Amino acid sequence: MLEAKGLRKAFGNIVATDDVSLEFGREEGEMVFIVGPNGAGKSTLINLLTGLLDPDEGEVILDGEEITSLRADERVHKGLVRSFQVVKVFEEMTVRENIRTAILIKEEMTGGFGPRGALQGLFSLDDEHEEVEAKIEELIDQFRLEDVADDIAEELPHGDRKLLDVAMSFALDPSYLLLDEPTSGVSAQETDYVIETIVEVSEKQNVTTVTIEHDMDLVRGYADRVIALHQGSVHGEGPPSILETDDELRRLLLGVGE
Amino acid sequence: MTLGIELLESSAFVLQGGFLDGVRTLLQPNTFVEQTINGLQRGLVLFLIASGLTVILGILDVLNLAHGELYALGAFIASSVAGYLIGSSGLMAPPTSFDPVMSFAFVGVLILVALITALIMLPIGAVVETTLIRPIYDRSQTYQLVLTFAILLIIADLLELIWGSQPIGASFASQQAVNDIPTFELIGFGNVPSLVAMIIVVSLLVGAALFWFFSRTKTGRIIRATAIDREMATALGVSPDRTFTLVFALGSFLAGFAGAMQFVRTNAQPGMGESALVLSFVVIVVGGLGSLRGAVVGAIIVGILENWMIVINPEFQTAAPFAVMVLILLVKPEGLFGTWGERT
Amino acid sequence: MTPGLEREDGSLRIRLMKGLVVSPLQLLGILVGIGLLFALPDIARSTENLPIRERPIYRGMVLGLAAVGLNLLLRHADLVSFGHAAFFGTGAYTTAILIQFYEIQSVLILIPMAIIAATLMAVLIGYFTLPHEGLYFALVTLAFGQLLYSIPRGIGELGGTDGLNVLAPSQPGTSVLDRFPRLGDIALTGSDIENSILFAVTIVVSLIMLLIMLRISKSPFGRALDAIGQQRTRARFLGLRVKRYVWAAFIISGFYGGVAGALYAIFFTSGVSPDETLQVFVSGDILYIAILGGFNTLTGPFIGGIIFEVLANIASDFELTGPGGTKEIGRMLTGIVLLIIVFVFPSGVVGSLKRGGKVREAGVDLKNDPSLIGPWLSQAASGTVAAAKRAVENVRILLLGVK
Repeated sequence: MLEAKGLRKAFGNIVATDDVSLEFGREEGEMVFIVGPNGAGKSTLINLLTGLLDPDEGEVILDGEEITSLRADERVHKGLVRSFQVVKVFEEMTVRENIRTAILIKEEMTGGFGPRGALQGLFSLDDEHEEVEAKIEELIDQFRLEDVADDIAEELPHGDRKLLDVAMSFALDPSYLLLDEPTSGVSAQETDYVIETIVEVSEKQNVTTVTIEHDMDLVRGYADRVIALHQGSVHGEGPPSILETDDELRRLLLGVGE
Repeated sequence: MTLGIELLESSAFVLQGGFLDGVRTLLQPNTFVEQTINGLQRGLVLFLIASGLTVILGILDVLNLAHGELYALGAFIASSVAGYLIGSSGLMAPPTSFDPVMSFAFVGVLILVALITALIMLPIGAVVETTLIRPIYDRSQTYQLVLTFAILLIIADLLELIWGSQPIGASFASQQAVNDIPTFELIGFGNVPSLVAMIIVVSLLVGAALFWFFSRTKTGRIIRATAIDREMATALGVSPDRTFTLVFALGSFLAGFAGAMQFVRTNAQPGMGESALVLSFVVIVVGGLGSLRGAVVGAIIVGILENWMIVINPEFQTAAPFAVMVLILLVKPEGLFGTWGERT
Repeated sequence: MTPGLEREDGSLRIRLMKGLVVSPLQLLGILVGIGLLFALPDIARSTENLPIRERPIYRGMVLGLAAVGLNLLLRHADLVSFGHAAFFGTGAYTTAILIQFYEIQSVLILIPMAIIAATLMAVLIGYFTLPHEGLYFALVTLAFGQLLYSIPRGIGELGGTDGLNVLAPSQPGTSVLDRFPRLGDIALTGSDIENSILFAVTIVVSLIMLLIMLRISKSPFGRALDAIGQQRTRARFLGLRVKRYVWAAFIISGFYGGVAGALYAIFFTSGVSPDETLQVFVSGDILYIAILGGFNTLTGPFIGGIIFEVLANIASDFELTGPGGTKEIGRMLTGIVLLIIVFVFPSGVVGSLKRGGKVREAGVDLKNDPSLIGPWLSQAASGTVAAAKRAVENVRILLLGVK
């Protein structure tokens, strides 16, 4: 289970995250959706959990181990992976190369940084190992990127870039996957597809996913649990039905002036 | 083995007597005031240079390696302008003895020289930006660096072609005319050449005008808005192209003004651009990227430290600013007033 | 994978080593090129007319070697360093100090010691650059470069502004010739034969180091650097310990700089001075050679160095007379050439000439349709006119306000 305990983060006078305590992954493969108006602190929460930001107070606990002081890359090694709202992929590499890079980093074929690893990294060229190639093809298949597999990432349409970003995250065999608005900017037809693929793959691999999402239909359709954030703190959580029953929540999310 | 002994000697010097002796010399009241105020003046001139650099960097996102040469260009242009305006065939000759009206009028002439120089730099900066820099805004940073470096090389040789390879000094008569103004009486302490005081005052005024420009005037705010969000600014009817040209011209103005001040104070000489450029970088690293406030503080620290070192141990004078820089990098890597990724 | 032959796309390919596969034609070209390099000193000596001189070419080679090291940072990790002279100079000065103050003359000791010193310097300076990237990184490297430049200038014992001679101290009864660095029994005093030997040694060392860099580039380490250069945050969140990799790359590039500096000092025994080895312009030279040679090639910087120096040599013969007197305008010409490169050759000279490069494509277009020259020229002309018009307009607006 991934836990936030009393997380607090302020930027000057603005309190982005205010004493937030949450649990993700009560069962394996739980699909949690985080909702809330803009500025509610959703991305900040993910940044705190993954190590992009350090909290002013509070702890992050992963599978019983406190990881608050771990670097971002160390957290990845423990199975905590994220994607980005603004797509971050290796622009000058092809789709295939992007995914290969992710896998190789994961497989520590880049050597890590002990002396043995460094030497190994320097002097062994990545002969294309069959398992690696098989995995690349599997991911390309799952995320329907076959048509663009050899295209340079920079030139891909937005929807495919989003898919690539998510594919790379899955390439790391995460235990916990935090997705920051994976469908933003994606066309209506593709949106269904993106979410379905995410659900499918994470169910197959038992990945606990935490997704920030604005599209309430998606949330209703796929969430095991919904967490609503507002002005840095948790407004409420529960099954997707709270979207209908909690009037204040509906006002916040769908209503006037937000 | 001799080198080892010599290194030990240097360290010994630093660790005991020599260094402390130097500090003791510095701490005598007159010397201290003199060197600190010299340092302040030097720092303010450095600020003018660094501010242009940091503004161009913060708003255009271009590291203008040619900025030092623009400063040198200003100094040399000032020498020519001064040649026209000062002297028996010009506007006014340096008064030979102190006469309140004439002396202050002469100060006015010197300031006029600087202003004219800076105004001449405006179109020069605009042309450089439009023809050479604008086409490469979209290119990688490396190409921008190559480009501005190329401009540096070209201007460096042009300067010597036009003005020769010997330093050109403001005539002693000019300096004496200003120094005859009894600052001591006016300010009340210190043995400060009035020239230095004048430069301090003028630089402070220009600096204040700069701050005021960016925070209070409409154009200033438009520039900052354009820096933060180019598309939004276009939507509001602002032309980013023109804004960028203006900013670069402004940077050139400041560099030129600083060069004129330097000419009046000492001289215009080949090589002044390169050393000013590097010191500007130290100032920016110390003060923080993109911060005008940081540039002021950083420049003053560098200027004062350099001048103190002249007394303590001249051998370390050039290295002193870099030592500060290393210290800052250890303690506060983003600079004194820097925040990661912040713009002017 | 051992060296051998293989077929690819139906044509014959020769595999030289892991990761280096060339066509027979390319192999021939490489061998001819290497042969030419070895013969250069002799060519240079036998003709006065060609602008080929031993000394500039040697300098170009060693600077090119330093640039190959720099390319690891530049081409892969997307980091511009303006202070690489620090490592070149450390290598050169270490050599000079060891021979002059410690009387070590054997090249076989001098070079490794110089490398160690330069590498340690890279460990130190690299550490300070770790929190930074982009322009800030460039600034920090520049400032450290200048710091290092100012140190020997200020200390008389290290030669001050004049620098040090790479010669052992003179002793009664020995001639000058005995004071030079030695390769085994051979004193490298600068005679023709000795220079050719030194040339050959440098070429061999450079070739080996080029091959090593090739392996590094194509290794997972190189790929990790690519990832860091293209999208640093992503690399971090894929689990890469970014700062360690950047530091390692920095150290390796410092290693290369040290080798280059040592080789330089052994040849230019009277040329180890702050201005020649540590100044920001030397860093600039190394950087521009790296860029001139192109990002996409390995040998580019090496060749670029030689071209650069030859050009600089030619340029230094040009003079102009202006109101300030007559002076040689080598710097200005370099600047103009660099401008041309920036505007015409986006991938560096060698890079743009390779298959797929912009210039090569343009060349192909021209070959197919020579009449293209006309439209191109008029395009260039109208482009210049348009730029000038814009400039005038902007100046007018600046001075007179917006209408």
